[in-house]
Amino acid sequence: MDWNGFVREALLGVGKNLYIMAVIVIPVMVVLELARDLQVLDRVAGWLAPAVGIFRLSREAAFPLLVGIIFGIAYGAGVLIEEARSGRLSWRDLFLINVFLSVCHAVVEDTALFMAVGADGLVILLGRFIAAILITYIISRSAWLERESVKRGLPDLAGAAGNSPGKCC
Amino acid sequence: MITAATWKRGLQKGILTTWHLARVIVPVYLVVTLLKYTPVMGWIAGLFAPVMRFFGLPGEASLVLVLGKLLNIYAALGAISSLDLTGREITIIAAILLLSHSLPVESAVSGRTGVSGLLMTALRLIMGVLAGLTVNLFW
Repeated sequence: MDWNGFVREALLGVGKNLYIMAVIVIPVMVVLELARDLQVLDRVAGWLAPAVGIFRLSREAAFPLLVGIIFGIAYGAGVLIEEARSGRLSWRDLFLINVFLSVCHAVVEDTALFMAVGADGLVILLGRFIAAILITYIISRSAWLERESVKRGLPDLAGAAGNSPGKCC
Repeated sequence: MITAATWKRGLQKGILTTWHLARVIVPVYLVVTLLKYTPVMGWIAGLFAPVMRFFGLPGEASLVLVLGKLLNIYAALGAISSLDLTGREITIIAAILLLSHSLPVESAVSGRTGVSGLLMTALRLIMGVLAGLTVNLFW
């Protein structure tokens, strides 16, 4: 085995990897923190609220969805668990947000890292976004989801706005 | 409000994340690079080449996919940077892995929000395969 070749490649590679990561990750984290403190997402979620209607999601779903898309599942789940406890989101909302985010989350960091090793950023970012919209839309219209939502005894936001005795106040 | 604390927190998080990344990427990178210098890489590549061909990927890419799905994106990045892959191949790997990575950990997170982790894992595996085939066919 060519030990010399291995050691040379290993040292060079480790150095290059560390450099690329630091150069990408540190600015990304700073920008994300700035966005958080400027409460950019609250505002964007406000504009986005009507748009999540295409999945028959409640307006409250826009904020946790957006947090997950930008910051990632870990942050997103924190907000989700909080919202789930507060009772503002139904099981149906939670399920669809999970579906969307499982496909499309932490887009800033993920896309930047894959671009750093040579992937086409536009293809993976757009591809992921489109895939998430398609799959969430299909599932949001499935008979299975309607059955499950009813089974879980939570208000069906799709059609039962007028006759949902379970929803008080 | 933006204060000095915002910048400090961003920097700290960036450095901490880089450290977390390095702890995964560097060992994976070293092991994969070592494998390249042994016949083992050739065996793995030969074994998986027939399946990987559907995705327009060389056999070695199977290693990247397994690392990404079982561990995380960072482990996959470490392996990618060790292998000699083209931009197109890396984009296909990214498409597959971005839809289905860290499956054991992330399905546990889904579980905590009350949604079946097993179901999400199955869904993501299928979507990952479809994404890889799609990018390979149409791009």
